Parts: sequence; structure tokens; C-alpha cells
Amino acid sequence: MDLSDQVKKMMEEDEPDDDADSFEKISEAFICCICLDLLYKPIVLACGHMSCFWCVQRSMSGLRESHCPICRQPYQHFPMICKMLHFLLFKIYPASYKRRQTQILEYEKEKGSFSPQFDDPAFILETEKKLPRLSSAQESTVSEYDLLSHPSSSSKDQILLNVAPSESGSIIEENAGPNLQIAAEDVESTILSVDEEKKLQQRISSVNCHQISVCDVLCTLCKELLFRPIVLNCGHAYCESCIALPTNEMIRCHVCQIKHPGKAPKVCLELDDFLEEQLPIEYAKRRTSFQLKQDHLQQESSTTCSSEDAPESVYLPPSSAENLLSWWGDHKVHVGAGCDGCGMYPIIGDRHKCKECVEGRNYDLCGECYATGSKLPGRFNQQHTPEHTFEIMRPNSIRNIMLRLLRGQLEDTSAAPNPSPDTTENQHSSLSSDAQEAAGGGPATNDSVNQGCENERLVKCWAESNEPWRSEPSHDCSFCISPRQIEYWMGMGLG
Amino acid sequence: MVDLARVQKELQECNRDVQVSGIRVSPKADCITHLIGSIPGPLGTPYEGGVFNIDITLPDGYPFEPPKMRFVTKVWHPNISSQSGAICLDILKDQWSPALTLKTALLSVQALLSAPEPDDPQDAVVAQQYLKDYQTFVGTARYWTEAFAKASSLGIDEKVQKLVEMGFPEDIVRSTLEAVGGDENLALEKLCSA
Repeated sequence: MDLSDQVKKMMEEDEPDDDADSFEKISEAFICCICLDLLYKPIVLACGHMSCFWCVQRSMSGLRESHCPICRQPYQHFPMICKMLHFLLFKIYPASYKRRQTQILEYEKEKGSFSPQFDDPAFILETEKKLPRLSSAQESTVSEYDLLSHPSSSSKDQILLNVAPSESGSIIEENAGPNLQIAAEDVESTILSVDEEKKLQQRISSVNCHQISVCDVLCTLCKELLFRPIVLNCGHAYCESCIALPTNEMIRCHVCQIKHPGKAPKVCLELDDFLEEQLPIEYAKRRTSFQLKQDHLQQESSTTCSSEDAPESVYLPPSSAENLLSWWGDHKVHVGAGCDGCGMYPIIGDRHKCKECVEGRNYDLCGECYATGSKLPGRFNQQHTPEHTFEIMRPNSIRNIMLRLLRGQLEDTSAAPNPSPDTTENQHSSLSSDAQEAAGGGPATNDSVNQGCENERLVKCWAESNEPWRSEPSHDCSFCISPRQIEYWMGMGLG
Repeated sequence: MVDLARVQKELQECNRDVQVSGIRVSPKADCITHLIGSIPGPLGTPYEGGVFNIDITLPDGYPFEPPKMRFVTKVWHPNISSQSGAICLDILKDQWSPALTLKTALLSVQALLSAPEPDDPQDAVVAQQYLKDYQTFVGTARYWTEAFAKASSLGIDEKVQKLVEMGFPEDIVRSTLEAVGGDENLALEKLCSA
């Protein structure tokens, strides 16, 4: 089927939402494991697994640390969207990504809560083209490699150019950006007369929207093709080797200066494989130079990688009552409230709530982000400005009630081992390591695991509703205390 | 609200390789949140040869909450209630992850059939038998498979014909089959005892 037929077919579609993008074969790597659709506003977790913004948000627990849906690695911070991937996906799958955009916008309107808005990707792509793409050092090497891989590219380009004007015209008109199987990498070659190159540049900006080039996938630091990419909590992508591992300090992003909580993230293997497949020559070059460097360093330190560390990344998420209890410990957990600065969710410790961001979602900061004066606009597109004033919040009563309930229940059933006192005490100093301990630990009997699961769901259902204790649990669990009883206890002044 | 787009994708995906996995999922009525799944009994187990139907209800929070699954076909297994069909499986409870799908969950249930966990029982009677008298357990499980998990493979007319061939009058066979819900073995028992 040639292009004009495709465009015609698209025009004939009554519901472009369903089928317009069906010819865009989406790589398995970019299918979200939760919604099973193309990733939209992708987030890369510290374990290297990707998911959509809302999919991550909805899969997080408001009560305790969350776990990667794929490898179950615990995490406590809601990462920011990886803009590089966002624009990359828009470029590769323009029609599908547009469809997702419409779909998610509907969802957001329904929900009354919005994901961060970026500049229109189309605009970004346009401006990107105006940058001196072929002038930088790596671009010229790219061209060389293209020439190596396509010895006959100059002749191909001649042919392509003859076809180009009519094609690009129709594309611009239809604004469709279909996934053409034109050998677009040839477009990058440079053995062309000046006139031809001008024409070619026009063609790049229209037809070539879906073909990636090295400058779409650059490391934030070294500005070369990402090699074994990792994405920090702030959403910036780096080569694994570009992030030096400070021994005691936290990793800090070179661009936004935001601290990355916890250890260095693991390589996003899906993206890595994709880059190797799409840009094999450039990738091989990066690998060679990396290996030379490694040899030079005499393999000083071992690298982290999710495939190598696979056994380590298998965690058993703690859900039982006593684990929840030990995780909460004695500090202030703000159930269901997340920090708009670092993304910590739920907030532990002080919670500062913006007094002026009242529409839609609250704007909250954790103690540390408040102290450092986070200037971030908010995770959910809140209209927060640094001039707004804050008030300090007490942990909500739900948490206190639950803490009492859990404790009471544990004493009653007494089958479940009590959390070790050390764990609770140490949590103040090193949260992440304790979360892992909690994750791995706990020789819970199966009864208590089930009980904990039910309790947690009950807590969740309480935390989410306005008058939580009034909602009936949707399950029959002999361990759970009835809402009536809680009401009674609250009347007794326990709440 | 249930993510309908995802459920539809799951159904498509599952039906695509039904020949390989043998796992089927289809909506029970017009409502996509109520489905029926079926898994073949694993080879080399007392459940071999049977096809087990599982009633699936998707909660509002799906896929962020686990689907509710229950065996409709009666099955003799330490982790499945012989009365209600309730399944004791961690991934259907606290170990659920939104990255799991109906198909992977059913695969896990199938795996549970081949690897019972008698130390974490759902049905204490079956678990006791499994631990104390394994041979009897295997016999009972196999008998239940024959009796309940294979009956549905025949159409109602075939069942009638089979029983008629055994020498029972057709009208009685039909009414008896109807009375026991189409289970040919139960019908046979009833016919013999009548």
C-alpha cells in the first residue's frame, strides 16, 4: 500500500481513535505493563522498569512504600516523567501518542486532576530541527557511520528526493505523520549538494518525524548516545557510567540539582535494547569506547544492572499487619499525601501543605523539600508559585486509629510476631534500608498475611473515602473489626 | 472504575494463543467485569484431562486490585475449597501486582493445581488427606476430575445418547440430566439409584 492510499484510508476512518494508528507497530519495549497500551508520559522507576504517569501513580500505595509492578522492588518516591522518553515516543509513534493524549486528557478531566503539561511536542520537534544538528562532532560521526552502513545512500537519496515533494506535501496537509518505511536513516547522509540538502532538511521536518536519531536519545551529561541508560528520580536520563557513585552523598542531578533518593537506579534495559536495535552502529561505537575506558580503569568497580542483580530484585512486599505497623513505626506517616518536591509518598515526617493551592489537588512538601525551598510547580500541574504560604499538617487521624487498631489486633491474635524494636527505632535515620528490611523480613504466618492484606485494603478504603469509617468493608474477613466498632471507639475518644 | 480498554486487550491477547496455553477467558454476559475462565488440568497430575471453569469478577479497582476468582468446577485440592471453589493463592490477594493479567493469574492457578501447598490450606479436609494419605488423595482428585471436569466436554445431546445407550429411557435421562445441571456422572448415579 503506498502512502496516498494510507492517508486516504485514514481520512475514511470514522473513528480515527481506534484504527488510525493501527499501522504503527509499537515495540514491546514501550507497552506499559499496566494499561497494556503505548506508554504515555513515561516514568522510569529506580529498578529500570517503565510505566505511564497515571499507571505509576495509581499503583502506588498511599499507606506505605510502593513496589514495582514488575520486579516488586520497593520505592518511596513518585518519580517525575522522563521527558526525553516522552518526546521520543511522540516522535516514533505520533498517531498513537496523539490518541493516548486524547484518551488520558479525558480521564484527567473526569478525575479533575492533571498530569504535568509539557510544551507541545510538535513545537519542540520543530525547534529541534532548527538547531545546528549536523554541526556538532557526534553528528558528523553519525553521518560517517551512515555512509559506512549504506554505501549506496547517495543514489538512494537522489531517488527519494525525487519522490519527496509530493509526499511531504500530502503529509503536511493531513498532519498524519504515518509510519513510512522509507529508509530515513539515509536522510542523515551528507553527500548532497547544498540545494538538495535544503530540500532534505524540509523533508526531515515533515516526513521523518517518526525516525529517531542520536540527538533524540542523548545522555544529559556527556551529550552522546545513551549507553546503558538510567533515569533519575527527576526524570533526567544519563548513561550509567556518567553517574559517578558518591560514597556517602546522594546522587544529584546535574541539570536540576534534585537529589536522587536511594542508591543508583538500575539500567533501563528495555530502552537500552531499543537503542541497540535502532542505532546499532552508534551503539556499538559507544560500547567500544566504554569498554576501552573500562579496561583503562581495570574494572575498578562493578556495575549495577537489573539483569545481573536479578535475584536481588525479588522482594516480597510486606502487606501483613505487623509489617505495616513496623513500617509506620512511631513516626508521622501522612496517609495518602505525597511530596510535590521529591515525590515521597506517603510523606513521612513533617508535612507542609500549601494554603493557597486549594483547587484540585493539594500541594504538599515534605520537611526536607520545604527546608530547601523546592521551586517545583507540583506533580499534578497545580498552579503553585514560590510566593504561596504553607501550614504544617498533623498526620491524619486515620493513621492514628489504624495504628491503634493494628496494635490491638496484633495483641489479640498474638500469632503474629511483633516487629523488632530495632527496626522501628532505626527507621528515622535510614528509611530506605529499613524499608528493604521490612520487605524481606517478617516470618509471618499465612494467616496473618491474609489478615494484613485485608486490613490494608480496609485502611485504604477508609483513607480514600470522606467518612472512611462509615464505609462497609467489601469483604468478609473474620479478623477485621467492624466499622460500627470503630465508630464506637471513636466515640470513646480514641480517635 | 475498571479499565475496560485493558480488559479488552487482555481478552484479545489471551484468545490469540489459546491453542498453546489452553487458557480461555470470555465475558459471562454483556458485562465485561464478569468473566468465565477455563484452564486445562496440568499433565502428570490427577487433574490431567479435565477442563476447569473459573468464575472471575473484576473489582472496580482492577487492575490495581486483584480479580476475584473462584472455581465453578468442583475440584479436590488442598488450596481450593471443595465446597465453594474459593482459591487460596497469594497473587490473588496481597501479592497481586497490576502487571499481572487474567491470563497470568489463570496460569498461576494452573500451576497451583500441579503444586499444592498443603501447609497453607484452603480446604483443611483435603489438606489432611494430602498429608496423611497421599494415595487416597490422588484417587479422589482423579475421581473428581473425571466426575466434574470432564462432563462439560460433551454436549447435552451426546450425554443423553450415551445414557440412553446404557439402557435408560430418553425422557427420564433428559429430566435427570436437567436436575443435576448436566453432569452425566451425577445423572448416572441418580439413574442407577432410582
